[in-house]
Amino acid sequence: MSQGQSGAEQRLVTPGMAVGPSTGKRAGSGVVAANDTFIATQLGWLRERNSTVSVDPINAAYMPRSGDLVIGMVAEVRNNLWFMDINGSFQGLLPMSLAPWKVEFGGARQHMDVGDVVLARVQEVDECHNVVLTMKGVGLRRLNQGAVERLPVQHIDRIRGENNERLQRLRDACDCRIMVGENGRVWIDGSPEGIRWARKAVHALASSGHRTDIDELLTTLENELKGDA
Amino acid sequence: MMGGYGDVQLLRDDGLRLDGRKIDEMRPVSIEAGVLPAADGSAMVTHGLNVAVAAVYGPMEAHPRKIQRQDRAVIDVRYNMAPFSTSDRIRPGFNRRSREISKVTAEALESVVLVERYPRSKIRVEIEILAAEAGTRCVGITAAAVALADAGIPMRDLIVGVASGKVEDTVVLDLDKAEDNYGQADLPVGILPNTGEIAFLQMDGDLSPDEFNLAMEYNFKAAKEIHEIMVDALRRRYEGGEV
Amino acid sequence: MPELVPALLRQELARLADEDKRLDGRGRWDGREVSLEVDCLYNAEGSAKVIIGGTVVYAGVKFELRTPWPDRPTQGSLMCGAELRPVAGRKYEPGPPSPESIELGRVVDRGIRESGCINMDSLCIVPGEKVWGIMIDIHVLSDQGNIFDACGLAAIAALRTAMVPAERFDVGEDHRLEVNGTPIMASFTRVGGRYVLDASEEEELGGDERIHITLGDEGHLHSLQKGLKGVFTPAEFAEIFEVAQQRCVELRKLVAEKEGN
Repeated sequence: MSQGQSGAEQRLVTPGMAVGPSTGKRAGSGVVAANDTFIATQLGWLRERNSTVSVDPINAAYMPRSGDLVIGMVAEVRNNLWFMDINGSFQGLLPMSLAPWKVEFGGARQHMDVGDVVLARVQEVDECHNVVLTMKGVGLRRLNQGAVERLPVQHIDRIRGENNERLQRLRDACDCRIMVGENGRVWIDGSPEGIRWARKAVHALASSGHRTDIDELLTTLENELKGDA
Repeated sequence: MMGGYGDVQLLRDDGLRLDGRKIDEMRPVSIEAGVLPAADGSAMVTHGLNVAVAAVYGPMEAHPRKIQRQDRAVIDVRYNMAPFSTSDRIRPGFNRRSREISKVTAEALESVVLVERYPRSKIRVEIEILAAEAGTRCVGITAAAVALADAGIPMRDLIVGVASGKVEDTVVLDLDKAEDNYGQADLPVGILPNTGEIAFLQMDGDLSPDEFNLAMEYNFKAAKEIHEIMVDALRRRYEGGEV
Repeated sequence: MPELVPALLRQELARLADEDKRLDGRGRWDGREVSLEVDCLYNAEGSAKVIIGGTVVYAGVKFELRTPWPDRPTQGSLMCGAELRPVAGRKYEPGPPSPESIELGRVVDRGIRESGCINMDSLCIVPGEKVWGIMIDIHVLSDQGNIFDACGLAAIAALRTAMVPAERFDVGEDHRLEVNGTPIMASFTRVGGRYVLDASEEEELGGDERIHITLGDEGHLHSLQKGLKGVFTPAEFAEIFEVAQQRCVELRKLVAEKEGN
């Protein structure tokens, strides 16, 4: 049975299910209030923290927010901008003025072409889902080598852990560079063996279930790596 | 739909139906969530001998642009019967019947999905009927609702597709093929199991007001049973699983 | 909409190929797990469900009575078609049959037809008047790579377990369709510069041309098809042809097992 952070059994809820009285509590994501009762609106695990009731969804699409670090892929090039696939409902737009290079009008393609993979940040998102990206900032760049893995967006935190501790352990274990995009893409670069292990490890962590012993799982994976070497 | 098929007896002398069911008993239903790995969410529903599969993709940018709504998502439903799903082969492609069912199914689903969360988007719902034995539109709605939940699409409730009808002047729950062919009325509805509201309604045949009320009562009873099976399917997929 | 191919994916596949590795850890000639279920759909006279990895395909067989062609008064007919409907994946769009789905159906059709496993004369009821027309419809529900092999397997398994519905058409008693042989398809995709068996979705996305080989019970070729942009050498073909022989024997065994049930 799945265990919650407090060790208590967690409850899987389905859309429309009444999940308790709403008096004195706030509705978080995945929950709406109706007639003094909270109703779940998403399939997921019910959570109550600081008087806020919410559902941790089991599946979710990436919804970009301003400031997100994302791994994008060039989908279309125009004279003065790039359209990027960011694994969301809508493409993101990277204008020439927010590229890390000085780009002449009409010269966009010389810097990045369709299929190129980049590390970018979400500059702004408007109410209609228009997404503007920027590549001005420390570390934002075109990724010329390495591998990109796609993971469930809602499980990205399992890779990072508190204060990126788990991510750092992953990097140290396989001696790879690893960047985690909020949009469910993970970039890994290093030796072939390192990449192979990191790929397996991030997928294992992301699908580790609703459990608390993720760090033990990581230890097991680390030992496997040492055993192989 | 008419009575008057004197040679076809649909109710036995002991009051049970030809397949041995009681008049308010539905065919066996089983549901499995997450059956299509390529989809964002999916479900397979077996209801009697009916088999329906639903896949959900999205939300994604709505194309072509003219179908975009600035204030909400559109739900793009395709209900389709596989060529081998009926006793006479169906030529592939859209026909008037499947277009109508797709339209009213989409509108029913739009009534429960929180579409205002996704302006300019579309959510694709693909309903494929692999085997048909009366009541496929209802089975399709049930499959679509489980697939939407499986895809993590926010909804204020699930929808359950159920039907009752009338054979030999008797109201019965969940018509099978013979009852559908030779019966006097069919009342398919889509019920929100938690709120008790109705999001899908069609009817053809002949029902008195009292018969209608009884048919609705049967439908609500069946919806409750099927809802439990839907929730169980979603639980089985995820509870204790490695997700 | 054509799919976007990440430049890094092609680089990665090329690098893995140099080490003779694959993205999912398989060997070059290893297939994913194959699951086959027959007689699984009410209303179809023969049916099969095939799952290969995350690819899910159904095939159904239907019969009709028709008038034979005037120049072949004793011969029935066989038709096999595939539908790649939007249910199968994000990249599939609604609309009339795509060139891809027509190619898929025709390649499977040729393999079955040319193997001679259906004796067209055995489908005759009244010469010049009444013959059986057999229709195999293939429905792809989830495409995660190598739909060709899944469709080929589903089609032959559905055909081999089909019952001729003679009673419904008032032309005698229902009986098992006579099928003499089990043609099987094996497909290869160029990934990272070299061919692999049973390519995954990602390998197809970042790969190049594909070759489909359908072999009969005696190991004879019955249908070949090269699809997508790319070229290959006779030596490369000789190599995959040998692998195809083994693969087809394995899958034929699987069909025989399921028929026995």
